[in-house]
Amino acid sequence: MTTGFFTDTTLCIGCKACEVACKQWNELPSDGFRFTGDSYDNTSELSGTSWRHVAFIEQTSVDQRGIHNRWLMSSDVCKHCTNAGCLEACPTGAIVRNEFGSVFIQPDVCNGCGYCVVSCPFGVVDLIEKFDPEGYRYNLASIVEERREDQQTALQGNGGVAGKCTLCYDRQKLGFVPACAKACPTESIQFGNVDELRERARARVESLVERGVGAELYGADDIGGGIGSLNAFFLLTERPEAYNLPAQPVLPSTRQPAGYASAALAVLGLAVAGWMIFRND
Amino acid sequence: MTDILTFGEVGPQEPTPTYYERPLLKAPHWEWNVVTYLFLGGIMGGLGLLQLLADANDEDERRLRATARVTSLVLAAANPGILISHLGRPERFLNMLRIVKFKSPMSLGVWGLVFYSGAAGANVIRELAQGGTLPGWLRHLVPAFFVPLQALLGAFTASYTGVLLSATANPFWGSGKVHIPMASVCSGLSSACALSSALCVVQGNHRVVRKLERLEMVAALAELSLLLHFEKHAGHYGKPFFTGARGKRLRTYTIATGILAPMALNLVGSMVRLPKPVDAVRSTVASVLTLVGGYILRESLIEAGKDSARDPRAAFVQPR
Repeated sequence: MTTGFFTDTTLCIGCKACEVACKQWNELPSDGFRFTGDSYDNTSELSGTSWRHVAFIEQTSVDQRGIHNRWLMSSDVCKHCTNAGCLEACPTGAIVRNEFGSVFIQPDVCNGCGYCVVSCPFGVVDLIEKFDPEGYRYNLASIVEERREDQQTALQGNGGVAGKCTLCYDRQKLGFVPACAKACPTESIQFGNVDELRERARARVESLVERGVGAELYGADDIGGGIGSLNAFFLLTERPEAYNLPAQPVLPSTRQPAGYASAALAVLGLAVAGWMIFRND
Repeated sequence: MTDILTFGEVGPQEPTPTYYERPLLKAPHWEWNVVTYLFLGGIMGGLGLLQLLADANDEDERRLRATARVTSLVLAAANPGILISHLGRPERFLNMLRIVKFKSPMSLGVWGLVFYSGAAGANVIRELAQGGTLPGWLRHLVPAFFVPLQALLGAFTASYTGVLLSATANPFWGSGKVHIPMASVCSGLSSACALSSALCVVQGNHRVVRKLERLEMVAALAELSLLLHFEKHAGHYGKPFFTGARGKRLRTYTIATGILAPMALNLVGSMVRLPKPVDAVRSTVASVLTLVGGYILRESLIEAGKDSARDPRAAFVQPR
């Protein structure tokens, strides 16, 4: 059975319970105190140690009756793509698709090369700077406030591993609902069989549209670019870019045939030139 | 009357709204070690072709062949070390040898490097056995097909360093799905020619330097035309690479002093008969400039990729 998330952003109240539950269950370290000034969002983005991220979008509209505000909140997460760029790119086989159809990183196999980081069309995967297989799952004592500044030196000295949402693989194995979905007080995050979730999502869009709310699904069907559908999809009331989601993502490996073919052409041309130059005395 | 804006609507002159100007993608954490790995990988690939082209019946070319083989083996031995310095711990390199994944240029590239090292090592044994440094019977251990095999593996090594970048979600790298792999091959060969001709000058093997320089000119010309076409083709995706301080650096060190200047020097060398010491200096300068240009090209590619990933708008619509 393929499981996934349906994140209905119209129900999100921005409580960040999902972020907290995720950090607690997965023993993810703090990212340090930062005040961004970007509405109520101090998490800013998904990272190796933040696997749920609640986005806050404040919008203003003006008409003859005055100024109106609306507030959009959306809990972002790894999309667990049908064709996952990170999984295809991983040279060690650390990234696998598990029995629940989710994309899972095995931290003991990951060698921290960072190729998955640049191969995710959604910018989800990132590196955690230290991983200590003997001690804690993540070496908490090593995490300091200047994480971002230290990231590169720490990575080179100790080697990091890639981190992202596991769709609570361990909880699913026990028959539990992922921590974020369990903690969500409004059922904005719904967990279940992806096919059922899609049907539920379509019905929800219909009822919203009937009531005059502009809503559409992001990733419930084939999103294009070779990625296919997303196991974690969203109901949005604004264009995807507003939530920092790509309107037209592309699966990186679709560029490989053109790359290898054109390189072969260059090799052939230069080999012929070389043969003519070296043969000719 | 005031302008009427509805929710989420953008004024006529405003660009696409972003999420607090925060980038959508993560920038690569790749530093000098990855740049050097790709640079040396390109040279290794070019040397693979050169050791095939050099004719065993010609004494000068035989010496070039020996030089190319030994140099390629040295580079093939150095590259895993550079990769390990990037990964942090030696045993992490071995994790890549668990599997072969055809969809991953990184995986194929590591296997390419491993097999290339094997072929280069075998060809060095063959070379030394033929030359009399090693016992002659050893050459029978290395079949003749190892020579074209090293060239073929070299072609792959030089190619994948480009595909590795172009087959990612990075908007700039992705926009060069044809140009970056081709330019990587051209730059790899021109750098290999430059390195070999510098070594040949040191060995006093001047006649073969002419041939290397001619091939280097062809590769450099191809690289130049690719870069010029890439600038037009990449459009706004190419901005981090072609504009600003980085664009200036690219034009100075890769295009002007890395391609045009060595081409002019090599052209002078092939048309005017200079006194030997002057010619040696001319050739060495051209080689060094080409190598610096090749390194700066790889460095610019990586650094521009970081800037492209940090652009909050570039990845909304990703290049096909």
